[in-house]
Amino acid sequence: MKNGPIFFFGLFFILALSWAGLVLGTNAQLGDLAPHYDELEGKAFPERAPGLAGQGLLVYRDLGCAACHTQQVRRPDFGADKARGWGERQSVARDYVHQSVPQLGTMRIGPDLADYGTRAAKNGATAASLLADLYNGRNGMPAYRFLFTERKVVGEPAANALVGGARAGYQLVPTPQAESLVAYLLSLKQTYEFAEARPYEPAADQKGAH
Amino acid sequence: MTTVSPTQASAEADGIDASARCPLGLLLAFGLFWLVAGGILAVLNLLQLQSPALLADCAWFSFGRLQAMQETAFIYGWAINAGVAAATWLLVRLSGEALRGANYLVVGTLFWNAALVLALVGIAGGYATSHAFFQLPDFVQPVLLVAYAVMAVPGILAWTGRRKEHTYATQWYAVAALFLLPWFFSVAQVMLNFLPVRGVLQAVVATWYAQNLFSLWLAPIALAALYYLLPKLTGRTLPNYDFAIYGFWSLLAFGTWMGGRQLIGGPVPAWIATIAITAAVMVLFHYIIAFLNLRSLFRLAGSSVLFLLMVGLAAYLVGGVVDAVFATRGLAKVTQFTYFQQAQQQLHLGAFSLVMFGTLYFMAPRLAGAAWPSITLLRAHFLAVLIGFGLLVASLATAGWIQGAALNDAAVTFATIGDKTRPWLQLAAVAQGVTLCGNALLALNFLRLFFTKPAADSVGRAVMEASAS
Repeated sequence: MKNGPIFFFGLFFILALSWAGLVLGTNAQLGDLAPHYDELEGKAFPERAPGLAGQGLLVYRDLGCAACHTQQVRRPDFGADKARGWGERQSVARDYVHQSVPQLGTMRIGPDLADYGTRAAKNGATAASLLADLYNGRNGMPAYRFLFTERKVVGEPAANALVGGARAGYQLVPTPQAESLVAYLLSLKQTYEFAEARPYEPAADQKGAH
Repeated sequence: MTTVSPTQASAEADGIDASARCPLGLLLAFGLFWLVAGGILAVLNLLQLQSPALLADCAWFSFGRLQAMQETAFIYGWAINAGVAAATWLLVRLSGEALRGANYLVVGTLFWNAALVLALVGIAGGYATSHAFFQLPDFVQPVLLVAYAVMAVPGILAWTGRRKEHTYATQWYAVAALFLLPWFFSVAQVMLNFLPVRGVLQAVVATWYAQNLFSLWLAPIALAALYYLLPKLTGRTLPNYDFAIYGFWSLLAFGTWMGGRQLIGGPVPAWIATIAITAAVMVLFHYIIAFLNLRSLFRLAGSSVLFLLMVGLAAYLVGGVVDAVFATRGLAKVTQFTYFQQAQQQLHLGAFSLVMFGTLYFMAPRLAGAAWPSITLLRAHFLAVLIGFGLLVASLATAGWIQGAALNDAAVTFATIGDKTRPWLQLAAVAQGVTLCGNALLALNFLRLFFTKPAADSVGRAVMEASAS
């Protein structure tokens, strides 16, 4: 290998090729992915989350929640994601078009959260109960007490204060971070049946459907 | 090389090493500092898995942030400092000239490490990017890029100013690593932070970047050291060396496509995973050639440098095979999102570290111009890292397999999974602890080595040679 320029060109070419293939290739396929407008329901999916939830996404990222929680449901015949109630269908790229920093995650020390909002609504979990879980910890998840401040009760207690837990005369008030984190978690919904998200069914089931 | 007599060559090498003493000593000292610091963070992080309440009250050290910090300290602190030192030293030695541009190296190193301190503080404060192996806060990224480019200058100068036109495998690998990192580093910075791409494309860019870090940086640096030290220490030429060039290009060409393995079954086009699986199998061609070239390592014994290189090479080869086998969808269904993937990463990182330790054992006394002050400390480090490495990979892999199998059975609760994996994670914490102790001893030994007066006489050199092997 005596020719320096050709050597450097080769190195550069190899990297450029994989970048073009993987990154530009995916961009060509998904770059202009738009929300799907459903004429029957009269709105587009995925729905935009409220601004508070958008801030919550950044709190989720800052705290490194993705170290234990994924946000990607695998298809029903690939793992037990559906059986665990994490989502009725697999996650698809369109689910994430509104998220500034999708938190797909790489590790499942805790449950998947891609469709958490739907699950919470089904189980009757509310913002208040989620805040209590964050303060007390739950199922191996530690208590994140730094998301709350203890404040003296002056007049009426704050509307969002936790019930109990504080010393007499004091109240536990969630910080704005905690409020937005909870709003974000409750906004996570992957329920709309996009055409590309229809589960792959074994041949026998398909026959029954037709 | 054969025309120069051994004493002549040794005297010449002395001059070359002396020219590199200060800048490379500084790099290695920073590398060892981050290795120990990252080790402490890693132990804490593993302890949090046993008792989640540990430090959970403190936002700076939540599990997620601590993990990002320990990973960053290991990759950008230890691996890059030590790797640049090794690559520069190898290129300078093979160039046959003294190190040029030492000031670049010193300035680059100081800026790199100062930025890294900021990066860790930033992660603790909540500025991590949340992309695995790319957690660096956005405000330090441009500084790191420029600092790296400055650090790499002497290595590239040693390549372009080499005495002989003919080049050797070590030089290809070292130059490729030095040259390629700024490219994929800057692409990741732009596409993930400054002009972020939309939606799941970020995950594609992030896995592409992380894989390049492993295949286009860590692996080439380790191979550069192996290709240099093995013939150097044994005095024999490498068998089947003619194939080395194909091994080199196949690692780069296929390795860079393997990142999509992390996204199997994820919300990205399926062809990304398929290409990654194919590439993971194709890259085995590289591993076969690396084995053919370096196989005599497995027949040698006696020297601690050679033994570390041998275990490092074995871990590297096993890592390649494990990557290919566990990239298949049937097995990924179990191992995805589990500690098993961490075991796979530790296998690669461990292979790199072991080869770097072997290189350090050989290189540091020559740079310092003195023998290792304590052979006992060196032996203790040697034993600690070997035991720690084996135990860590084995325990994480077992924990991961148990976790993966349990996750795929919807009847098993997370509490049960926690109970089942806990003993193995305790073992992993012990393994990290043992490694940390060993590395602290190495750092201590290294500092003493560089603060001892250089032994200029021939007796000193003889002791030095003996201490290295």
